Amino acid sequence: MQRNTNRKALAALVIAGALALSACGGGGGTAGPAKGEDKPVDSLKFYNDKGGWKDAFTQVGAASKKDVGVGMEPVGYSDSNTYTAFIRSSFRTKEKADLFTWHTGKELQDLVDQKLVAETTDQWTKAVADGNIPEQLKQYFTYGDKQYCVPLNAGYWVMYYNKAVFKKAGVTQTPKTWAELTQVADKVKAAGVKPFYQTNILFSFVWFETLLAGKDPDLYDALATGKAKYTDPGVVEVMNEWKKMIDAGYFSDPGAKTEPQAQLKNGDVAMINFGTWFSGNLNTLKMKAGTDYDFFVIPNVNPELPKTSMIFETGPVCSAAGSDHASTVKKWTDWWVTPQAQTAWANSRGDLSFNPKAEVKDPGLAKLNKDVGGDGYRLINRWFEATPVPVANKALEVFGAFVTKPGDPMPGLQKIQAEADAYWAKQK
Amino acid sequence: MSRVKTAILVVLGLIWLAPVYLLVVNASKSVDGYDAKTVWKPAGFSLFANFGDAWSKAALGDTLVATTMYSVIAPVVAVLIGSAAGYAIVVLRLKRGFLWFVFIFGGTIFPLQMILMPLFSGYANSGLYDTRIGMIIVYTAISVPFSAFVMRNFFTGIARSVFEAAVVDGGGLFRIFRSIYLPMAGSALAAIFILQSTFVWNDLLLGLTLSQSDSVRPIMPALTGLQSTYGGASLPTVLAGGLLVSLPTVILFLAAQRFFSRGLALGQF
Amino acid sequence: MSNQVLDRTGARKAPLFGLPAVAVVALLLYLPFLWTTYVSFTDYDGLASPVWSGLANYKAMFSDPDLIGALVNTLLWVVGMVTLPVALGLLIAVLTYGHKWGTWLRLPFLLPYAISGVAVGVIWGFVLQPDGALGQALGFFGLPGAHTGWLQAGPGNTLMMIVAVTWQAAGVNALLFVVGLQSIPAEPLEAARLDGAEGFSLFRHHLWPQLRPITTVVIGLSIVGSLKTFDVVWVMTQGGPGTSSETLALSMYKETFVLNDYGQGAAIALFLSLVTFAASILYLRYQLGDAREQG
Repeated sequence: MQRNTNRKALAALVIAGALALSACGGGGGTAGPAKGEDKPVDSLKFYNDKGGWKDAFTQVGAASKKDVGVGMEPVGYSDSNTYTAFIRSSFRTKEKADLFTWHTGKELQDLVDQKLVAETTDQWTKAVADGNIPEQLKQYFTYGDKQYCVPLNAGYWVMYYNKAVFKKAGVTQTPKTWAELTQVADKVKAAGVKPFYQTNILFSFVWFETLLAGKDPDLYDALATGKAKYTDPGVVEVMNEWKKMIDAGYFSDPGAKTEPQAQLKNGDVAMINFGTWFSGNLNTLKMKAGTDYDFFVIPNVNPELPKTSMIFETGPVCSAAGSDHASTVKKWTDWWVTPQAQTAWANSRGDLSFNPKAEVKDPGLAKLNKDVGGDGYRLINRWFEATPVPVANKALEVFGAFVTKPGDPMPGLQKIQAEADAYWAKQK
Repeated sequence: MSRVKTAILVVLGLIWLAPVYLLVVNASKSVDGYDAKTVWKPAGFSLFANFGDAWSKAALGDTLVATTMYSVIAPVVAVLIGSAAGYAIVVLRLKRGFLWFVFIFGGTIFPLQMILMPLFSGYANSGLYDTRIGMIIVYTAISVPFSAFVMRNFFTGIARSVFEAAVVDGGGLFRIFRSIYLPMAGSALAAIFILQSTFVWNDLLLGLTLSQSDSVRPIMPALTGLQSTYGGASLPTVLAGGLLVSLPTVILFLAAQRFFSRGLALGQF
Repeated sequence: MSNQVLDRTGARKAPLFGLPAVAVVALLLYLPFLWTTYVSFTDYDGLASPVWSGLANYKAMFSDPDLIGALVNTLLWVVGMVTLPVALGLLIAVLTYGHKWGTWLRLPFLLPYAISGVAVGVIWGFVLQPDGALGQALGFFGLPGAHTGWLQAGPGNTLMMIVAVTWQAAGVNALLFVVGLQSIPAEPLEAARLDGAEGFSLFRHHLWPQLRPITTVVIGLSIVGSLKTFDVVWVMTQGGPGTSSETLALSMYKETFVLNDYGQGAAIALFLSLVTFAASILYLRYQLGDAREQG
């Protein structure tokens, strides 16, 4: 028995040796994908960093199998950093991802620059013509006149609120202006509930984003492209406004580890500013849309602005360039953008779809989906995607410290700007 | 004296159990019954419903066979390889033994996060990616330094005369290792096994990076899918999932206790 | 048979027994790390081919003001981890060993290690959050500190996380100490007891010296483990607020996985590995070197 094990161990060693040698070679070797032969398959792996959506992905896979004969199996990751590193490394190996989720902005740009991701210009042209993808979305997927990937989802950032808490505080109408929002917050506070949710990890940027986009969306866009500085007076003003709100006791404890959806449900906070995917989280806790919770569009801080700033988030579904299964991938993504597919996808998670023709069951979300398509809104790319990664990382550190212990914002803003200067200098 | 000892142990033990208590109580609450302000108070008993939720939501059943395989085979192989090294260095007085030892122990020094990506490329290019044998190999490698370290030091405690007598009796070196040294190291082997087995069972990073299909991926990547900003499960479900997958390791610790209950020869001191 | 003959018999075949361990470690741990070492001298984003950049990453690392903070926090972890869990582990081992209900009394300390990381992270998160389980308990007993934000400011947040890890690690150390205690031969102890040694004096003069091999293991592993501290910090604070609880391993992770600056991350990893290597070799050299002369 023992000897047997030893022999097995030896065999294992030999294999390990072979692998390690190839590991050395694999790193420095061939960049740029080789054009593979096309081999159609009847099911695709879908790598994603949204492990919590496994059920929804599986349902969609069953639907696509039924509709076009191509199935889809999700391979979920929950830690998005590990996921990103995994996908980045995979292009150098023969384990190229047929379908994978990614981030728009600089992250997708990186892949496009290295020619690692398949072009989808023809699919986009057709989908826009058919009305399956709104024209407005195109810019987020366009690099040098060509499109890459197709949308996975679309989310608008709105204010969720606990209806019972509003009732207790005597709030009968949702606010239409920033002044009304402040009044609502005061009423809620008087009733002994923290008006707004805030955290010092990751989503610490949300209030910065909301205040800046609602006050000066042009400055917001300029900041994202490096044309304005974090130390500009407009940004400082936003930080001071934020500090005033924190000092006034408008926010929940940023160190709380309780999930935001549980905080809203338990009435620890009255309002939470999140993407529409948050509906799904609340539904998981058996809260009912329209009865237990609802949401409203966040009014602009500056009432003079012609359009309501609406923070918008979208993620792409991409495919590695030179995939062996290119024709299957095309067949599947063609199906993916159809109203039929999107109706299944949106309702499996209780969320919106990028496709305006998808039938969203949740009436509140359906109405929002229609309204936002109209003229009164200015779509603002979410700060997290709009901001270059190193700048965003530094800023998250600064915001995290700021919401925990607000003080003079200037030193923190200077730190962010130093990072931004370094970043933009490298881009030119 | 004995009573004082017992008292200290009981008090310390209760402190240690407090977080475990929190875990069990909150994992037992109904999905919508959790409230951060009353974490100490039990409320209802939906533990089994939550178990079921976690089980189906994270599809834990699919990964059970693979994970069990990894956490049994890899530590066993590692314990054997490690004790062989310890035996060579201490008992057989391998030349430059300290260097050999430092080399093996050095394997624990590298931060795991930094070897993940090169490992992945190597695995993907050699066909070991997403295979059970690949997972077993990597888990074995990662467990070897620890077991070599413990066994090396354990063998230093065994008198030299044992080896001398065995050689005089005419046993081959392999036989001496197998039928004299390994049996003497029972408790050390058991300790290494359960510690490494638990480590493998609870591993997240290697499993996440080196495998993708349901039949190869270990259990933790599946479990963390419950905990996600974008549509994760409710807190009681997450905790119930965490508790559920801990049961096998808890049972392992319980079962292995008899290895550590000996030593009554020492009596009270 | 003389000692020399014995040594020769053993030494000739000894490499065969040591080889499997060396091979498996070399191929799966050293080789990937060699790649990391190479990357540390390059500019590499994980996509394009690495471009040689000499010592640029190292220069950038040592001119980063946040590095000092991470270094200090890492040292805090080392000091904390070689004292708290080791001392507690030894105490638990000695108290339970030979105790009638020893195996049962030891169990509460072993449970934390058996519980999966996901659950442990969540539990400690709500133990330590402001007005969390710890705060509620303090409040219940009328003690001060109920509203403390345990993780909100350095270096307190690092200390609290050391406590959390102690909770998980003490039992493992205890288990290793028990193994050490079991390897102590009974006769000399009986003799000492007949000479009238008991209690603490028996432990100090007769048990403690014999526990040395296993103490070396426990402390050696604690040094290595604490220098690499990552998981618990990443789960509980992600190094924040700001960078107040960041450790070297966390800086390394952020550079590599968050910022995709693989070269910079690799440089920190190499620096961290060198420090770990130096610390553990100094310690082991001292401990094992002495033991070799005796044995």
